[in-house]
Amino acid sequence: MIAYLVRRIAQAAAALAGVSMIVFASFWLLPGGPRSAILGGPLSAGRLSALRRDYGLGRPVVVQYLSWLGQVLHGNLGFSYVRGQSVGSLLASSLPRTLALTLTATVIAAAVAIPAGLAQAARRDSLTDRVLRGLSYVGYGMPSFLLGSILILVFAVRLHIFGAEGPQAPGIAGVLTDWQDLTLPVLTLTVLTVALFARYVRSSALESLAQDYVRTARGAGADSRQVLTRHVLPNSLIPVLTLAGLSLPRILGGALVVESLFNIQGMGWQIWQAAQRHDFPVLLGFTLVIGAGTVAGSLLADLGYAIADPRVRYTRS
Amino acid sequence: MRRASQRHGSAGRIRGSRPGAACGGILALVLVAAACSTAVTGSAASARTPVSGGIVTYALPANTTPNYIFPFTSGAYFSQVNENQLQFLLYRPLYWYGEGKLPYLNTQLSLAYPPVYHDQVVTIRLKPYRWSDGEPVDANDVLFWMHMLQAVGATDYGAYVRGEFPDNVQSVRKVSSTEVQMVIKGPYSRIWFTYNELSQITPMPKAWDRTGPNTPSDCTDQVSDCAAVFSYLNGQAANPETWVSSPLWRVVDGPWRLTGYNSEGKLTFQLNAKYSGPLPKDHISEFQELPFTSEEAEYNVLQAGGGQPLDVGYLPTVDAPVPPPGAPVGQNPVAGYQLQALYEWGISYIPYNFNPADAQAGVVRQQYIRQALQLLVNQAAVIQGPLHGYGQVSTGPVGDSPRTSYLSPKSKQGDPFPYNPAQARSLLSSHGWNVDPAGVTSCESPGRGPGECGPGIRAGTQLSLKLVYATGNAWVESALLQLKSNASQLGIDISLTGKTFDDVLAEVFGGCGTPTAFKVCPWQLADWGQGWSYVPDFLPTGDELFKTGAASNIGQYSNHTNDALIADTLRSSSLRAMWTWQDYLTQQLPVMLQPLAPAALVESIGTLHIGVQSPTLVMTPEDWYYVR
Repeated sequence: MIAYLVRRIAQAAAALAGVSMIVFASFWLLPGGPRSAILGGPLSAGRLSALRRDYGLGRPVVVQYLSWLGQVLHGNLGFSYVRGQSVGSLLASSLPRTLALTLTATVIAAAVAIPAGLAQAARRDSLTDRVLRGLSYVGYGMPSFLLGSILILVFAVRLHIFGAEGPQAPGIAGVLTDWQDLTLPVLTLTVLTVALFARYVRSSALESLAQDYVRTARGAGADSRQVLTRHVLPNSLIPVLTLAGLSLPRILGGALVVESLFNIQGMGWQIWQAAQRHDFPVLLGFTLVIGAGTVAGSLLADLGYAIADPRVRYTRS
Repeated sequence: MRRASQRHGSAGRIRGSRPGAACGGILALVLVAAACSTAVTGSAASARTPVSGGIVTYALPANTTPNYIFPFTSGAYFSQVNENQLQFLLYRPLYWYGEGKLPYLNTQLSLAYPPVYHDQVVTIRLKPYRWSDGEPVDANDVLFWMHMLQAVGATDYGAYVRGEFPDNVQSVRKVSSTEVQMVIKGPYSRIWFTYNELSQITPMPKAWDRTGPNTPSDCTDQVSDCAAVFSYLNGQAANPETWVSSPLWRVVDGPWRLTGYNSEGKLTFQLNAKYSGPLPKDHISEFQELPFTSEEAEYNVLQAGGGQPLDVGYLPTVDAPVPPPGAPVGQNPVAGYQLQALYEWGISYIPYNFNPADAQAGVVRQQYIRQALQLLVNQAAVIQGPLHGYGQVSTGPVGDSPRTSYLSPKSKQGDPFPYNPAQARSLLSSHGWNVDPAGVTSCESPGRGPGECGPGIRAGTQLSLKLVYATGNAWVESALLQLKSNASQLGIDISLTGKTFDDVLAEVFGGCGTPTAFKVCPWQLADWGQGWSYVPDFLPTGDELFKTGAASNIGQYSNHTNDALIADTLRSSSLRAMWTWQDYLTQQLPVMLQPLAPAALVESIGTLHIGVQSPTLVMTPEDWYYVR
């Protein structure tokens, strides 16, 4: 297990280095080169000196890369001349909002989808299974702006139970405690995510139910609940872990449509704005953070595999 | 142009404005001034008892927040949202434009008395205003701004136009603490110089005359000191996180002071207790500007109320109720609010590309072809359809809304090129074109003579035009599809290419080279979703937009008669000169005119009185009050 752990951490470190190189190379691949990409306008002496300081322009590429990496490691992700704010400051204000939204929705979705998927598998082709399957099709196929708009119309405009916009308070604590404003955007994302997760869990559980060890457990006298919770559930969670790992870019990258609809200046909205305005420091800084987060998240997911399924670590070693 | 930078100007100016866009951005400019616009129409608000105090929450345009506080704005940040939603609340311009519903000089809100002209000497006498630090707003503050313009205007001032302010000023001097005198270089029209040049001045306090927190400078007296002062202030101005704490920006002469800013772009203003200008007895005490990620998000909050309801917002055009015949607005879908359509002082158009390097330059240069194309623009249908009944028909280079004395009697008669495909077909056929609705219309009689296609058009040349436009504006996209469809009925192929607002601006500004060094650029028509705002050059003389070589003459239109007539409008104070020019250019059609969409459909809560709106989009929330 330790060898596996060390190997995966080394791989993650290499992937992170790769991400940083790709992001750094993007400065040079963008039209007009790094100066126009970063500044997006005419150069003043002050801007030019800041650029030289932050990115080491005019020196060998390797030195520039290390100089930039040094800035990044010291928390300087650059400055948005379009917004007049540091990228770090934009990140600090948008990341908590996005995490509060997407992470909460993902956790709730998993909490709903796992029992629902198991129940569907246990009662395959029953009325419950069919109804839940139908609902998941609807949820899976419904555009988030439509679902969000319906929820706003019903619960905010008509019934005045929840707010029509996401939490506007700063910081993750302020966002999480404003449940009245957080409910509808989280609900919108949750419905869509539940639909996806439940289908995975159901299919995985059906596969597990057909395995020999389930028949053995039943033969040994285990009742249905014991079979599901002790034997089927752990094995069905493996694809869910995969799905959770695959969800990481979305969790970190935000949900543009939901953020835009609910007036949440989250990661997705910021990236979209930056792309519209050619605000490359923001694009690159956010890309780097999302990339790093995804690599770290994948590492955690892999470790989760190893814990859930010993075959993983033995096979790979 | 200037404020038009939002609408257009140099590429650099636009970028800063987004904004947006715009309606980009941009769409941007549009909504913003919401407040200034909302005239209370005999509503409940005017019938009840005014009360003092209270907070007003105000919706900023979607995706747009102020990002520059210094009122000597550099090109990268020149935008309406910066001026109207931030700078002018804190720092008042020398002359204020917007008199009720007209874009005229407002002598009451100006910091100076109307200028006095003796030949080429202009005298400006200041009123007894004071800065919040107790210093008087005096002649030095005007000189400070003028010297900065002279020092860095050509490179760093967003509204600079070569050959105009301050190039047309021979000298400027302080006569006394309340009087400044300028000697101007030419026999300019007094109204033009007042409305288009002096209109740009914003007095700046002595507290800003420095190159660092503890290093005073002397830009007020020495032009040579000004570049360093600008560099310092410019750097400070573009960092919103320091606006509230900086001692620089706390010195204000406007009715508001900035007391709050958060990273999302929410701004909080409180009344400046030391404001020395006119203030009504009853007024609000705090003004908050709230950012929105989309128009839909703003509209949801407007409808739902909630934790922080909006007092002044806007209605997206797609949600606008169609007004009954003769009414300015339809049934308001938001209960408890008043709806008002605000039209900006400007024109809406799509420029042609006259660049001689362009493959279709010969086609675009034919006046009869431009007239035929204009006859295919169904402005009335666009207003009734995509604009939901809100919009004004554009007739020429001078704004049609509001109706000013600048509009010629002929223009007041209505659209000279109303939708008429039959007349368009006749124009083409009579000039040697084989009109082929089933294919692409082509020239079959090349040549310069009567009945021939015209110079620069070879036999077989197809009437095919590329139109690049900014995506994200629903009514513009619908209007363009309608134009494409109308044109196809006569075999005219208009291919549409959508790009982001910034990309369209980048392509049209500079993408075709300069008037002396042309480059091929891939468009014959360009639509960034807006047009031209006659702010802060309030007199619609056309020298910045249609004159040969003008920086904002995007399509590089050039016509000697037009240039001469424009020159007359700059020299003569008679309206006749402007009428003559506009009647000439209206027939020339250097741009394709499209309807003027409302700048905003303003919603204001019924218990709030927000005064008369201004088409210049400036706003005066210090005049707003709640009623009981």
